[in-house]
Amino acid sequence: MGRARAAVAVYRRLAAATLRGRVRHPAGFVLRTLGTGLVVITEIVGVVLLVEGFGSLAGWTAPEVVLLVGLGAAGQGLGLVFGDRLEPAFFSEVVRKGSFDQVLTRPTSPLGWMVASYVEVRFLGRMAVGAGAVVWAADRAGVDWTLPRVLVAVMAVVCCGALVFAISVLGGALTFYTVEGSEVVNIFTYGGVSLSCYPMEIYGPGLRAVFLWVVPFALAVYVPALVLLGRAGPPGLPATLAWVTPAATALFAGLASAGWRAGIQHYVGTGS
Amino acid sequence: MAGGGPLWDTARFVHAYLALLSAGFRRQATYRLALVSGLLTNLFFGLVRTALFYALYRERPEAVVGGLGLADALTYVWMVQAMFGVVWASWIWEFPEAVRSGDFVVELTRPGDPWLRQLAYELGRTFNQMLFRSTLPLLGAAALLPLALPTTPAGVLLVAVSMVLASVVAFEIRFLFGTVAFWSSDYRAVFNVVFPVLWLVSGFVIPIDYFPAALRALAEGSPLYAMLMAPVHVAVGQSVPSSLARQVAWVVALGVASRVTLSLACRRLVVHGG
Repeated sequence: MGRARAAVAVYRRLAAATLRGRVRHPAGFVLRTLGTGLVVITEIVGVVLLVEGFGSLAGWTAPEVVLLVGLGAAGQGLGLVFGDRLEPAFFSEVVRKGSFDQVLTRPTSPLGWMVASYVEVRFLGRMAVGAGAVVWAADRAGVDWTLPRVLVAVMAVVCCGALVFAISVLGGALTFYTVEGSEVVNIFTYGGVSLSCYPMEIYGPGLRAVFLWVVPFALAVYVPALVLLGRAGPPGLPATLAWVTPAATALFAGLASAGWRAGIQHYVGTGS
Repeated sequence: MAGGGPLWDTARFVHAYLALLSAGFRRQATYRLALVSGLLTNLFFGLVRTALFYALYRERPEAVVGGLGLADALTYVWMVQAMFGVVWASWIWEFPEAVRSGDFVVELTRPGDPWLRQLAYELGRTFNQMLFRSTLPLLGAAALLPLALPTTPAGVLLVAVSMVLASVVAFEIRFLFGTVAFWSSDYRAVFNVVFPVLWLVSGFVIPIDYFPAALRALAEGSPLYAMLMAPVHVAVGQSVPSSLARQVAWVVALGVASRVTLSLACRRLVVHGG
């Protein structure tokens, strides 16, 4: 217990130091934070123009689709705060330059050290815009905010964030093998959330199955949205699946953790 | 000066820039893993967007919304995937970084023109991307989906020309963006705010044909039109001559703008260190 508390204190100090460094250039920090939110706003403008232009998307109105965009964006923002720097584009440099050797010699968990020293607070901009979109869309779609519904919305954001983070960890683990950065991971971190921006009805059985049972973004975004909107959901994808969401997310996180440990076992320094 | 006459000079000039073009081509060719993952990313996003437009048009299959039918919308989806590698360079930060560090000064001591050298290098990159990252998704999609691509050799050639023009415009926009580094060392922060707006107005989020009239007029009048929607319109055979004319006009206008900016910037360039 004491050791765990000491570890948390170390991570908190590392994260605070990183944050202080970022805030040292306030103008740049504000612009970067705004930028991550602005991306979501453009997505929402696009979705609204498209769905309003056609009337509806697979029976969903524009605000209902925006609810999906908002939940996904809020979760993605949360996940990227912790996971952004584990993605191969950056992490491959840490591996290539041998900086990871130093991480391994420190008396902390390597993953905890990486996450705490590279916290990307700017993604809170994306999370805030996503949350704002959820509130706006829920109002337009007539969602009755009871306590259980609020809890479902929070669960959706947390689970989606955990999935994005877990995929980033897997991306980092993959980098131990490929060394060179590979953008394939983006298909899942960015692509998984992009796919969740639209109702699952529009996808064929293959994509649906992958994003329901392999990388369960549909369980973290679409299914909770069904609950919020009081929709029953299509055959094979009922709203009651929301009960499965936390367990599925935990299972995926467990897989990512195992993948990370296997990756570290495989890691060989770059030499000098 | 050794050698003889203006003809010889021209030949040497062309040879030097062709060598740079081929270097750009070969550099892009070394990123094999990036090519494979780029293609997979194109495939994934293409599939998602294809599903989206099929769903939108399902209720009204014959509908023409904003001037686009289903075949046009699907062509847009796969043209966007084909254009991504053409207009974006993974080494976008090298020029501003060289400015910031002061390495750029070496460029000024080299013979020839720094702007033309970069353009030649970037065109090499473009040809490589067009050969692999543009043709493969387009051919694959055209084989399986009802796309509205041209079928005559002349039509195909016009699409290719339009893509090259788009890549020159994209280079000029990237170049102008890079010159921000002459004035501010935190150019990346500026980029973070500008990029989402460019992304929407250029038509990467949805085709500008679905925009409300005022926003559409703004998008069509901006140089971003020449970067993405012009090739899309050429591909689906809508207002082909005017799209190409706009592209040529923007290539010239942005070319002048970026050269003027560069000469202004060089006048205030201060090199650190001793």
